[in-house]
Amino acid sequence: MSTHTIRVTVNGTEHEAEVPARLTLADFLRERLDLTATHLGCEHGVCGACTILLDGETARSCIMLAAQADGSEITTLEGVVAEDEDLHPVQQAFWDRHGLQCGFCTPGIIMSTLELLREHPEPTREQIDDALGGHLCRCTGYVKIVEAVEQAAGELRRSRA
Amino acid sequence: MSAGDGRPFGAPLKRKEDPRLLRGRGKYISDIKLHGMLHAAVVRSPHPHAEIRGIDTAVLLADPRCMAVLTAADFEDMPELVCIDAEETTLPFLQPALARDKVRYVGEPVAVIVAEDRYDAEDLMTLLEVDYAPLPAVVDPERALEPDAPILHFQSNLTDTLHYSDGDAAGALASAPHVLRERFATQRYAGMPMETRGVIAAYEERSGFTLYSSTQVPNGVKTNLQTALGLPENGIRVIAPDLGGGFGVKLQIYPEEILLCRIAQRVKRPVKWIEDRWEHFVSTTHGREQFHDVEVGYDDEGRILAIRDDCVTNTGAYLQSLTMVEPFIGVCMLTGPYHLENFEATAKVVMTNKTPMNPFRGVGHVQAAFTMERIIDSVAADLGLDPVQVRLRNMIQPEQLPLNRKFGNVLAGTIVYDSGDYPTCLKKAAALAGHADFADEQEQARAEGRYIGMGIGCFVEETGLGPYESGTVRVEPSGKVTVLTGACSSGQGHATTLAQIAADELSVDMDDIQVLHGDTDLVRFGVGTYASRTAAVGGTAVRQAAGKAKDRAAFIAGQLLEVDPVDLELRDGAFTVAGSPGASVSLADVASAVAPGSPLPEAVADYGLEATDVFHPKTNTFAYGVHVATVEVDIETGVVKHLRHVVVNDSGRVINPLILEGQVQGGVALGVGGALLEEILYDDDGQPRNPNFMDYLVPGVENVSPEIVVEHMEIPTPLNPDGIKGGGEGGAVGAPAAIANAVANAIRPARIAATPLFPARVHEAIVAAGLGATVEGTKS
Repeated sequence: MSTHTIRVTVNGTEHEAEVPARLTLADFLRERLDLTATHLGCEHGVCGACTILLDGETARSCIMLAAQADGSEITTLEGVVAEDEDLHPVQQAFWDRHGLQCGFCTPGIIMSTLELLREHPEPTREQIDDALGGHLCRCTGYVKIVEAVEQAAGELRRSRA
Repeated sequence: MSAGDGRPFGAPLKRKEDPRLLRGRGKYISDIKLHGMLHAAVVRSPHPHAEIRGIDTAVLLADPRCMAVLTAADFEDMPELVCIDAEETTLPFLQPALARDKVRYVGEPVAVIVAEDRYDAEDLMTLLEVDYAPLPAVVDPERALEPDAPILHFQSNLTDTLHYSDGDAAGALASAPHVLRERFATQRYAGMPMETRGVIAAYEERSGFTLYSSTQVPNGVKTNLQTALGLPENGIRVIAPDLGGGFGVKLQIYPEEILLCRIAQRVKRPVKWIEDRWEHFVSTTHGREQFHDVEVGYDDEGRILAIRDDCVTNTGAYLQSLTMVEPFIGVCMLTGPYHLENFEATAKVVMTNKTPMNPFRGVGHVQAAFTMERIIDSVAADLGLDPVQVRLRNMIQPEQLPLNRKFGNVLAGTIVYDSGDYPTCLKKAAALAGHADFADEQEQARAEGRYIGMGIGCFVEETGLGPYESGTVRVEPSGKVTVLTGACSSGQGHATTLAQIAADELSVDMDDIQVLHGDTDLVRFGVGTYASRTAAVGGTAVRQAAGKAKDRAAFIAGQLLEVDPVDLELRDGAFTVAGSPGASVSLADVASAVAPGSPLPEAVADYGLEATDVFHPKTNTFAYGVHVATVEVDIETGVVKHLRHVVVNDSGRVINPLILEGQVQGGVALGVGGALLEEILYDDDGQPRNPNFMDYLVPGVENVSPEIVVEHMEIPTPLNPDGIKGGGEGGAVGAPAAIANAVANAIRPARIAATPLFPARVHEAIVAAGLGATVEGTKS
């Protein structure tokens, strides 16, 4: 099986690695870099738990090969705030609003929320549904997730003002 | 924040576990790596029913990537999965850990292959040569009972028939002014947590087995593994890490837990197996598939006089740990909050070539509520009566409680409703939903060509199941408090709610309490989390353990302060003497005074400040609730939109309203899936048709109403000191009934007797009722 040398920047750190052609980006992040916040719920690109930011855009790392990410800048949930920093307003909003239960889908949802609020600082309900539409959560019923996204939008607007 | 009196019990506190999860520092089974760990893949039957004529491992073993393979030939004495609620009459169709001479469903484990890496292990599966001779399969439970049907095991496909009878149903039906006959069907669907199952097994001669498993019941898995592997109590430790949801499908031992132990011992290295989503669809238990053929006698006022119910449960290919719960609850909880004099039922439990069923969130109650609530609405519609009034006429009154409902089973004992006020709950929910004004709203919508409907779903639910739960509360010399529980969270927030109970009892800060669970070396005796039991049973154990620790602390504080303990008051983490505010000793000082290393205070006999309680509830609690759903049906396509959902719930006293609201809302979403979207489909030959998230639709944000209003009645149960009934499942129980009734109301007089209400099914009902045609006619 062929291997590829890839260079990626993950959460600000550069990595060079030799990867088999078939290694998924999710497995690269989880198994090689021990960045286990990125979760695998379906491995066929539906549930959204594996969502990361690839060059700033959300991407499903379970249906992408590590080799395809060569040259990219990747952000996972671990890279949203440093370990010793306060929670990011999006994380804080999910905590305040009880926007998570088991926490398994949460990392992907937070990554999509970050993208949503960057693109739409004052998201409509439709835009929120659109951003969350690529995620499955079996625990919450989504009500409190939507509330969390709305709270985070407000916080971020205030902090920019 | 607090309930208003400054006490943590009852306060909507944010969860202690969340910052860790929000930073991506959860530790789920797939995140765990052990030194030298290998990876397993499970070879599963591609056939729904086949003889295994032989398994050839030669080619597989010749591949250098293959570290080990395990087949039935490796077991002299094949362990079987247990069924703990079988009746004496139940035929023992138990599942072997690996298929021996026959496979009975697609997904049944046939072999385990171990390699250095998961990719290799999956590649190697194609090298195992299994010689299958396919047999005719049966997937329909009625077909399975015909004399010429393929037999899965021996003798018959009928593992058991349960009989229940009270009063004179035949007589009452014969003389009833009106009789309704209908078949109500609930489909096969599943808990479907976002995290699949996973197991890591390690073996060391010094300490025996360590098994990590994504299980809701670590102590139960341990006990079952002891039996399966012939081990003493100290030969195995089971650890449940963070769970990415459970919903019941992680509440029993599975073959992989046995198999991974066996193979790890053989290769002398830890072995990990993580289920993929296809495997989850075919190998993790399903639930619900149940049919109720009912005859209902009622009078002109809508009073139900008699019910006869012939119930069939399609339980799949093997008995599982709690197979009999689905049929038992489905029939015995049928009448929910209603009074009924004459009842007769049989519940057949049938084996077919489908994945086995076992309880998941709301087991049996979902089908019972759907059936009964459709009955009530059908009666109301037939008589032209208000469905709220018909319900009130049939409801058990508060003064009739406690009420013995006479039936029971081997695990749960006899059903005795404990406390509550069903009519008030219904009235509150109807008012909150605006039920009285809805008819006008509906008429106006219909004039605009919009088909909206409102439906009610009442239920009573067996919660707070025994047999026991353990709690240990330890005050450390630093004053920090450690709580150990046998309960095991799969996302419910035990680290917060159980800390709230301990904080309440010990008057310490929430931040000073840590709740630990999910490790059988840490918690020797425990049961686990399912059946809405942790708050009521586990919470009581923590309350009582904390109480014992407090009593002991007071005794020691009395010695230290040279006062009678009865004069002491514990507040803000310190004992003070009533009437002399200067005299005080902190909990930390008390714990330090009995820490080993220095002499004990006078009259104190033992070191340590710790207490354990094992709470055995006398019987179950019974939570209840009323759901009112509002929907809109697209008359042309049959698509149902879930517009609004109101729940009034009595879970007894509430520990944390924020968490309970989340539990109910999440349950409603699962109920939306069951009512509208989810069904595990098989073709007639027994092949699964939709084992993936593209074809099996778990509700997304667009499917669930953004407005799920939850209110609580807090009528305490007398069965535990905090009066807690339990609230993990009610959301899932009442929602399908309410939504189905709302759809029926929107497109009346169309017949709605089965879920899921896929657009095609709704459309068919619309056409059959002549509704669609009317609209077409109006338009053209």
